[in-house]
Amino acid sequence: MIRENVKELAQLSMREARRLGADYAEARVQSSIGSGFMLKNGEPQPSMMGDSFGIGIRVLCDGALAFSATNIMERTAVRSLTAKTVKMAKASQRLVKKKVRLDDSRSVRGSFSAAEKEKVEGGDASWLKSILLEMDKRIQKGKGAKIPNRILAAASGVDEKYYINSDGAETESRVPRINFFGILTAISGGEVAQRMVQQGETGGLEVVKRLDLISKVEEEARILRSVLEGATKLEAGKMDVILSPELSGIAAHESVGHPQEADRILGREGAQAGESYLKKSSLGYRIGSKEANVSDDPNLVHSNGYCPVDDEGVRATKRRLIVDGEITEFLQNRSTAAELGVRNNGSARSVDFNREPIIRMSNTFVEPGDHTREELIREVKHGIYLKSFTEWNIDDKRLNQRYVGLEAYRIKNGQLGPLVKAPVLEITTPALWGSVRARGKEVEFESATCGKGDPMQGIPVWTGGPDTLLGGVRIGTR
Amino acid sequence: MIPTELNERGLKAAMRLGVDEAIFVSTAGNEQMIRFANDSLSVAKKTEESVVSVYLAKAGRRIVGGSSNTDEEGLSAFVERLYKTMINLSKEPVYAGLPRDATKLKKAGTFDRRLGDAEKAVSEFASEAIEAARGAGARRSAGALEASLVSSYLLSSNGTEGQDTTSSILLNIRSFTERNASGHGLSCSSSLKGFRPAVAGRRAGEDSKRMLHSKKPDEGTYQVLMSPTVAANLISLIGSFASAFSVDSGTSYLVEKMGKRVGSDSFSLTDHGRIEGGLGGRVFDDEGTPTQSTKIIEDGVLVNYLHNLTTAKRFKAKSTGNAGWIEPDAWNLEVAPGDSGYSEMVKEMKRGIILTSNWYTRFTNYRTGEFSTVPRDGTFLVENGRITKPLSGLRMSDSLERIFSSVKLLSKEREWIQWWEVDTPTLCPWVLVDGVKITRAYGSAP
Repeated sequence: MIRENVKELAQLSMREARRLGADYAEARVQSSIGSGFMLKNGEPQPSMMGDSFGIGIRVLCDGALAFSATNIMERTAVRSLTAKTVKMAKASQRLVKKKVRLDDSRSVRGSFSAAEKEKVEGGDASWLKSILLEMDKRIQKGKGAKIPNRILAAASGVDEKYYINSDGAETESRVPRINFFGILTAISGGEVAQRMVQQGETGGLEVVKRLDLISKVEEEARILRSVLEGATKLEAGKMDVILSPELSGIAAHESVGHPQEADRILGREGAQAGESYLKKSSLGYRIGSKEANVSDDPNLVHSNGYCPVDDEGVRATKRRLIVDGEITEFLQNRSTAAELGVRNNGSARSVDFNREPIIRMSNTFVEPGDHTREELIREVKHGIYLKSFTEWNIDDKRLNQRYVGLEAYRIKNGQLGPLVKAPVLEITTPALWGSVRARGKEVEFESATCGKGDPMQGIPVWTGGPDTLLGGVRIGTR
Repeated sequence: MIPTELNERGLKAAMRLGVDEAIFVSTAGNEQMIRFANDSLSVAKKTEESVVSVYLAKAGRRIVGGSSNTDEEGLSAFVERLYKTMINLSKEPVYAGLPRDATKLKKAGTFDRRLGDAEKAVSEFASEAIEAARGAGARRSAGALEASLVSSYLLSSNGTEGQDTTSSILLNIRSFTERNASGHGLSCSSSLKGFRPAVAGRRAGEDSKRMLHSKKPDEGTYQVLMSPTVAANLISLIGSFASAFSVDSGTSYLVEKMGKRVGSDSFSLTDHGRIEGGLGGRVFDDEGTPTQSTKIIEDGVLVNYLHNLTTAKRFKAKSTGNAGWIEPDAWNLEVAPGDSGYSEMVKEMKRGIILTSNWYTRFTNYRTGEFSTVPRDGTFLVENGRITKPLSGLRMSDSLERIFSSVKLLSKEREWIQWWEVDTPTLCPWVLVDGVKITRAYGSAP
């Protein structure tokens, strides 16, 4: 955990900022330590280690917000940077047309840690390498098309934070994670298929077993070969589509979670990550069918986006983003909650000591329904089951999205059929959520890294959901 | 500790542990940023950081690391952790080793020292850009303005020393007349001299006005005129695909294309370690190899991959000074200019679309280069050489090789581009391309 003498630097900074006239001050000391290992086509690459450690300071002076950071962890340097930060906030006031205000969210005092059985610090490069070598061996053993190109990378790491603010919050946290990323390229008869795989959870070394990581990636390789050798062209047209957990999860993240970030709605991310098709007044707006239900929950045990207390010292609660097709809640931090006059749900996160906390998703997912997968398939006369995707994107207002399928099956008269090649779901947000007819019982999650902010902050999240049936949507081909 | 001291102490600690080779690269810098939205300050930011990157090798084993825990105790502990981890690893199959000869690489390129302490200037420039956008018709603007001065120092166990400093000032402004009508402006410069915030603001404001009442286009193939901002997004990706690491790992469409045509005759792309007016780069790479100018594509033909020492050994080539200890990467990309003017290019278009900004470029398959990207901000239909209406809700869905093999015209005028969607600074012209596939989403909008 963060050492006491370092915590004192944060306390010093907060007191100093207040003494110099800041209306509000906070300081966060963060240590992020990690190890990584990569195999390229079966060959070990140099192993990697990272050790990030420093302090981030944020002050508010008459509605002007300033953030600064340094890794020089000495009293004089922190005191000096604090003074500069207050001065910078005051000097920037001439650019303020609308003052930043913070709501009166209840401050949290205490500590939390993600569940961890075997300490993540034991996951050094040798351990990561042994997992990847076994994975690589099993991928190569598979029958069928060759997979000559294999990027397999795994990382273990832990974020430790100490946070204090002038409204009374004081928190300490430890969140360990294990992550995997891979790119498999299968080649046969001049054709190429590629799959990107990402897996990750909070926790210690036990995560690898809990995820059954090696078998999961081996199975991805088997599927990739099948797609390359067996997928046939699909006729474009209108049809029913079952989105797998992977697809319903990415759709929930991209076209529900992002447009319901209150900072986008209020325009703060307009320059880079974009705004939203929604307005301040959109709460209660019907965006989907009665079957459209989407949430974001930062408290899921083992989740990649686990964050029970946010980086403004506020308890993070489950957010019901869409309930029975209606937009019911936005993701909030202290400033957007104050501006919109609503309850703060604690969505402020920061990836490192040198990044300001901004509104982020945690684990965004379609809520479960009451169907089995077989029941959903039986309901489809003409359609496809979209199991995994490759290319995807969405516009900056989160209205026009596209998902290109990799593993996808034809469905005819309630029966799952053969693989189809690169079906494209290119659809508006209301059309997608308006076409949800039924949902499966079982929710599954995928890990992802979500990008937002300037400088960019790639933050760990889960996306997920059950199998989700869309009725009568247009499917194209690549 | 100052960066040179950090390198020296780190190197001593590593040699004491018994490594065969070690490289320390320390960077120290100041960055200042103003972010604004709805014409009002969102946040002012400042970072004062020094970071050390470490490379250790012993008996064919290598490890690399980065640390901002740079006090004496933190640095020693980090080097020791690296060493202990490394000696338990097995040998790498391809191990190049550092050159025996030491080099002194202290010839600093041009930089603007004023950008290290530009708090007041940054604030004034933000106001200037916002006012220019309003003057051009915008109702509100959001943006980020960032000034930085970063010095890098290298010290390696073979005695090589490097030192260089770069500066940059980057403005990204997006202006709105309505929620669905926006324009984008950029100004990127290595010094205050070339920085034009008002020009960027005016461009964003004008396009936000022209984008009112936009319509979705029909799907199909169009001629597409890409602004330097859009073209630089795709070209910076070509820079990554030219990395020998990407080629070796099968994550590049340039695999098995050496010496072959991958673009039109008029398309040439070069990487520069340092270039006058360039926004980044260094005179040395992470392995202490002097950086250079490397032609990647010459008159449409792929002529070089980008290498570090290890990829060079594997490919039986020479390092191009683009290390990255694991992956080589581009420093500053330059697309050769054409001889057309913007107006002339528009007149050439029978049925085309002008794209001024884009985002979210994603690939179906890196090996084939098939991708789609989403245009944003100023997007205009051109019919028979005339701009006829603003467009929105479209997507460019094609492949990199096909696009750059269908370049019809390039402009004389070029701009330096670096922003959220363009990591590698890129000097880029307007690019007119034939036969680009345009798609749109199914369903209505609220």
